[in-house]
Amino acid sequence: MIETGIPKLDDYLHGGVPLGKTLVYYAYPGVEGAVFGMQSLCHAISNGISGVYVASSTEPHRIREQFSEFGWDADEYGDRFAIIDAFSGLIGADSHERYVVADPEDTRSLTQCIKNAMEDLREPGVIVFESLSTIMDLCGELETLDAIEEWNQYAMLYDHAMVYNFTAWPYSDDTLLSIKEDIFDSTISVGGITGNVIFGQYFGVLKANWTDAVRKYILFKVLKPGGVRAYIPKILVTGPFDAGKSTFVHALSTRAVSVDRLGTTIALDHGHVDHKGFAADIFGTPGQARFDPIIKLLSGEAMGVFLVLDSTRAEDFARGRQMLEITRSFGLPVVIIANKQDCDGVLTPDDIRGQLDMPETIPVMPAVATTGNGVFEAFETLIDMVMEVG
Amino acid sequence: MTYKLGISRLDELIGDIKSGTNIMMIGPPISGKDDIANIIAYQGLLDANAAVIVSTREPGNNVLEWFERYNLDVPMDRIGIVDCVTRTLGFGAPDTDNIKMASSPVDLTGIGVKISQFFEHFWMEMHLRETRLCINSLSTILMYSNLQTVFRFLHVFTGRIKAANALGIYVIEEGMHDEKTIVTLKQLFDGMIEIRESEEGYQIRAVGFTPKPTPWFDYEIDGANIVLRG
Repeated sequence: MIETGIPKLDDYLHGGVPLGKTLVYYAYPGVEGAVFGMQSLCHAISNGISGVYVASSTEPHRIREQFSEFGWDADEYGDRFAIIDAFSGLIGADSHERYVVADPEDTRSLTQCIKNAMEDLREPGVIVFESLSTIMDLCGELETLDAIEEWNQYAMLYDHAMVYNFTAWPYSDDTLLSIKEDIFDSTISVGGITGNVIFGQYFGVLKANWTDAVRKYILFKVLKPGGVRAYIPKILVTGPFDAGKSTFVHALSTRAVSVDRLGTTIALDHGHVDHKGFAADIFGTPGQARFDPIIKLLSGEAMGVFLVLDSTRAEDFARGRQMLEITRSFGLPVVIIANKQDCDGVLTPDDIRGQLDMPETIPVMPAVATTGNGVFEAFETLIDMVMEVG
Repeated sequence: MTYKLGISRLDELIGDIKSGTNIMMIGPPISGKDDIANIIAYQGLLDANAAVIVSTREPGNNVLEWFERYNLDVPMDRIGIVDCVTRTLGFGAPDTDNIKMASSPVDLTGIGVKISQFFEHFWMEMHLRETRLCINSLSTILMYSNLQTVFRFLHVFTGRIKAANALGIYVIEEGMHDEKTIVTLKQLFDGMIEIRESEEGYQIRAVGFTPKPTPWFDYEIDGANIVLRG
């Protein structure tokens, strides 16, 4: 078994990638997917396993610099590390690497180098592809898919693990489906949380045919040095005074704490949610206007927002809308909680949407925070919105 | 949310450009397209926009120097440059606040990541809601990657421009590409800025923003200004 070195991923894969198996990091455009393969390679090599990096869009010396930026020193790896240079030939540059692809636009040329490198490895190792999509762009989709099958068969023969970085540009549907579901033993989705821009990044196991993989999604950030780091998001819970924000936070959380005075939140509520494979830290704001500066502080880097409203108090809705503006959350996924639906004289979610003049794209969901009714449905809705892949 | 080019006569004729618009700028070599692209970015900075410039022909520092050369009083923290050149020259320059390094013009994945990072930074940390993206130039990218690859890249990023309510400017060298390439790429854009050579110099017009193209105007570039005549 070869560990990927990606936080939590080896747990989800029950140890990593077995020898002879293949894994693809299936990254959406604009998301930092390339570092995943790099990190897997460097992690394996630093654990004494031999590794080969197939460079297709970067010069080899630059790759060593990239490793160094992340804190991985390729010079220390000695003979356990080699680069297959499938880039220099493209720009007509000289190469001093052990393996040089004469014609990077021909999969046969690439295959020959990969075979040579696999044979030269004295023991089972890991082969990592910098960018399968670049190879596909240069060599053609069908030709590359055929070549991948050949490379994977060689890997099985020599007991090497294969790790591919792939960026899911809009190739043909058949190609994308094949990459995502068919030709690799495991697929790791590396996606972006999108709204107006990509707000954050996540990864998760889509499939792994050697184990019953854990299907959780992890938000991550890429640090230099450091590489991929699991990232815990912030979800904000805001709303007018006495709308039930603290109760909502506590109903949703596996553990929670409030900073309050005589039952009124004066600083924040904080809770940790672990629900259906998603973990989140949620932060509740005070509702009174005199605490508005705290709301601004709390709202920094929020990934999504719950606006909690007391469904019996239409006179507070304008304040709710104002609080959304204070949190500067427009553009972020927002779910409006129509709370206290068990009380007399409540407005329906549709009534509330109308009074707030909110578009249909912003869900208004009924809930009774005191009993927990509706709170997890709202959470799942917000998570779906946050995790929506563009 | 609308944009202006910062080219006065054209702005008067085409009116405000709606957010999410992608514009191809095409013209012959040495016609001042780099300056015009920078002037459009500069206009954005004056309008409190952010500017993301993907530079495939000039090192990022040269692009920054353009803004410094004319003593332009602009907030530099609103300029982001994706530099596709410096590292191909063998310099191991690190990223800075203003400049993020891509490996090469081939590395479309890396270029896309850097663009996304600047957009996220301007939106999330600086709370800027209007951003101008200028790719200067697509022609260099097309030298290293085939049309289909570049089309796929642009298909994604013209969509991102719309999602971000931004403005996209994409520079293309006239005469470097065949008709099929230009026609294919045109599908992705909402309008064009065309430049042509004339007896007295160069002329510019805007196409696709109004029912008819604007007239051709002679122009001169004076520092960070473009002066249209006629």
